Amino acid sequence: MEEKDEGGHAEPLDLVRLCLDEVVVVRLRGNRELKGRLHAYDSHCNLVLGEVEETIYIVEEEEEDEQSHVRIVKKQSEMLFVRGDSVVLIAPAEGIQDLRS
Amino acid sequence: MSFFGFDTTLPRDHSHSARAPGFGQPADPFASLSGGAADDEIIDFEDTYDGLGDQLDDADDALNDDTFGGGPATQQTVGKDFDFAGQTSKIANTLQEEQMLFEARNLRKPPPVQASKPARTGYESYHDPDYIPQLEARADIWGLQPKQVPQQKQPEPQAPSAPAKKMMSLDEVEAMMRAQTASQTTAAPPVQPAPAQIPPSVPMRHQQQIQHHGAQDQFAPQILQAPHQQQPSFSQQQAHAELPAHPVQIQPPRQPAAMQRQRQTPDNAGQQPRYAAPLPSAQRPPSQPRQILQNPNRLSGQGLPVMPPPTGPRGALPVHSRGPSFPSMAITPDQLMQMPEEQRLAYLEEEARRAKRNHKIALLSKDNGLMTPQDKNFITRIQLQQLMAATGGLEEARSEAALAEDFYYHVFSQIRGAHRQTPQQPANQFAQTYLFQTNSRFGAGRRHGRGGDNHMQRMEQQVQRAVEAAKAKPKNKQLVIEGSLGKISFSNSKTPRPLLNIKRAETGDKHPKPHKSSIADRKEVLRNIEDVYRALMEIDDHERALPPPINEESSPEAIQNHMEWRTKFQALHDKLWEATKIMEPINLQSPTPHPFIAMLSHAKGKKLISRLFRHIDDQERVTVITMIVVHLDHLPVVNQAIATPEEPLSPAIREQVELFVHAVIPPYFTHIQTSPLNIVIGLLEIILQRTNLHLVARSKVGMEMLTILLSRAEILKQSAPEMDVTEWEKWTELYNRLFDTVEPVLPVLFPGTVNDTDDKYIWQFLAAIGVGASPEQQQRLVLGVKDRVMDTVTVSRALPPDMSAARLFNVNLFMRAIGLDVELLG
Repeated sequence: MEEKDEGGHAEPLDLVRLCLDEVVVVRLRGNRELKGRLHAYDSHCNLVLGEVEETIYIVEEEEEDEQSHVRIVKKQSEMLFVRGDSVVLIAPAEGIQDLRS
Repeated sequence: MSFFGFDTTLPRDHSHSARAPGFGQPADPFASLSGGAADDEIIDFEDTYDGLGDQLDDADDALNDDTFGGGPATQQTVGKDFDFAGQTSKIANTLQEEQMLFEARNLRKPPPVQASKPARTGYESYHDPDYIPQLEARADIWGLQPKQVPQQKQPEPQAPSAPAKKMMSLDEVEAMMRAQTASQTTAAPPVQPAPAQIPPSVPMRHQQQIQHHGAQDQFAPQILQAPHQQQPSFSQQQAHAELPAHPVQIQPPRQPAAMQRQRQTPDNAGQQPRYAAPLPSAQRPPSQPRQILQNPNRLSGQGLPVMPPPTGPRGALPVHSRGPSFPSMAITPDQLMQMPEEQRLAYLEEEARRAKRNHKIALLSKDNGLMTPQDKNFITRIQLQQLMAATGGLEEARSEAALAEDFYYHVFSQIRGAHRQTPQQPANQFAQTYLFQTNSRFGAGRRHGRGGDNHMQRMEQQVQRAVEAAKAKPKNKQLVIEGSLGKISFSNSKTPRPLLNIKRAETGDKHPKPHKSSIADRKEVLRNIEDVYRALMEIDDHERALPPPINEESSPEAIQNHMEWRTKFQALHDKLWEATKIMEPINLQSPTPHPFIAMLSHAKGKKLISRLFRHIDDQERVTVITMIVVHLDHLPVVNQAIATPEEPLSPAIREQVELFVHAVIPPYFTHIQTSPLNIVIGLLEIILQRTNLHLVARSKVGMEMLTILLSRAEILKQSAPEMDVTEWEKWTELYNRLFDTVEPVLPVLFPGTVNDTDDKYIWQFLAAIGVGASPEQQQRLVLGVKDRVMDTVTVSRALPPDMSAARLFNVNLFMRAIGLDVELLG
């Protein structure tokens, strides 16, 4: 946010703070996506997510017809710790939905 | 052209002359006639004159002169001849229009048009004998003495041309041509003919030529008009006058003269040397300039080939046929057969090419001119008007103006509208265009109708007003930034962007604003919540730093620490209280909810309440509870949580409701448990007065909060009967109001079917309301929920014992409250 108030929204992570306890979409390296409630984060973007749905996109190359297609694997987790170095993107799920609609 | 087929048979003289240098280009049609005539006798001429070409030219010129008439008097004569035809055809035009109009209108026919006297039109100048001398006067400028010959000639052409009104067929023309050539061979060839010496056949030829022109023009497709206009003016003008109704011929009056002048300049230059040697120009004053003008073929292939080259290789044809109006019908099949093989082939090829091109042009120009210039003006005017309305708003909102800018209304009113005053007055452009479904060329060159003028006028006014408006605007079209070297220009005639930007900005702002604001609101609420959490964490943090309790023996530093801690704690408390934004003014009408209530719509906002309650004092808690109660029917967990058996709650809403029940209700309940009666009375009063009780009573959250209030009041009543009597009266009054309000919705209190087991809170509410009810109210209460009680008892009998017991227990909550028991029903 462009606005700096007392709480100090000067850092990017202060925006992530607004997503605390909200459902967020987190994109990770290696074609993975997480959707879950953000419980905690730190300055390394280590995250703790609850009620997580993990989506893995696996690109499969088929030798015979040389065509590749994407296989999607989904996993559910009660609680997940995400190490920050794999985090590419954090977005509020509602905002994403707004953009799509 | 067909009638020149015979020329090919003529002696070598022609082929020779045509091949001679300088002769290939000017395709002189008269060379065939005159040359044929001179053929036998005048071989001496070749010796007499230095060039064969000169001789031929002179002869031709002379003939041309005769053919077209030496002077303007001939024009006059011709003009008089066709005057009737012109008028008739004018009226015929009108008749046609009227016919169409009649069909379109299917009404009574307008007054007979033939009877009325022709009024003035723009074309009268063509009938008017006074008009032509104007051309003469211009001819005088070129050094003519025009009136010498015409008087003599005048009677001659008049006789033959009078009966010639009837259009001759091509065969007739051919026959005449042949006969004429025959007679000419016998006659002495006029080398330098005085006009009076001209054989009687010449006027005939002249007339034929005119007719031939007419025929040509008729055959030529209309779309080829433009090339036609390059035709030398005199013949055109003649044909013009004779066939005024023909669309192709109608020209702006000034044009012929202008063309004459244009034509003359190059011609004179080209012919100057030829005339210099053999003939003193003074000898034949009328013919010299005339012939320049009158002989169209002088201008080589450019002009309309009145006659094709008489002899010589037919391969020369393509050159001539550059003149696009070379009529295809001019060569009859048998004449085609007479042609040499290669010639015919060339001709056919050329013919095919021409037809193809004509077809293409016709296709392309099919819809040309569907919109008349007036239509275009009209549209432009409307656009300007709209521009005005958009920018300046100078346009007064008159209904008349609104009608006037409706294009279709105009077309309609022009077609169906007032009758024309005279037959000569052309139907309005609109009417013409849309009545005949034809292009505007039909009426090209006509005077603009009233409507057209009007539109032009109005458009001018519009432009003027637009300009005025633009001038009236403040002139800050340039921005000069101090210290900079240049100016920034906002708007000029080429980039009128700022004008449009104003509008776009307006509409653009309106559209995305609600969307944007909702996102901004959401962000704002989230930020508020985070601020509260931050304050909460700070205050929690500070609590942990609580110094050890102080007593009398404490050191001054300890006391100092403690004082500082207290001050800090107070500051943090104030900060927390401020962060809740709860003291912001309440505006129930505002589209955006109160910031504190908005926080409650988020899960973490709901969770805030219990933590908040820990740090605030009783007064502040009452404020918070009051705030929630006031907005009770604004809470999403209330107004979006009205379930019916057909429409159960969505999981998301159900989750929110559960969260609210578990996060907000407990601190509320805790606080109410310790509240005095006046607080309970105040809260119930607020609910009754300021909220939609039907909404509140049908939602789980609202019902539980009411239950808590009612049970608190009942507990107070039982435990503290010594309370103020007036307060109890007040409570009873409020209770009665509540009961009366809730009674109608009693049957729909249960959101689910009988099998829905989540109904405990409802039975609790019924119990709470039943405890305080009078016997009469209890009866009404039982009547309202009797069916549900019976159904639940019936259903529970079929259930396993423990479930059945649980359900019956819930029912019994209510039954016992009113002094009954489910056992009694069994």
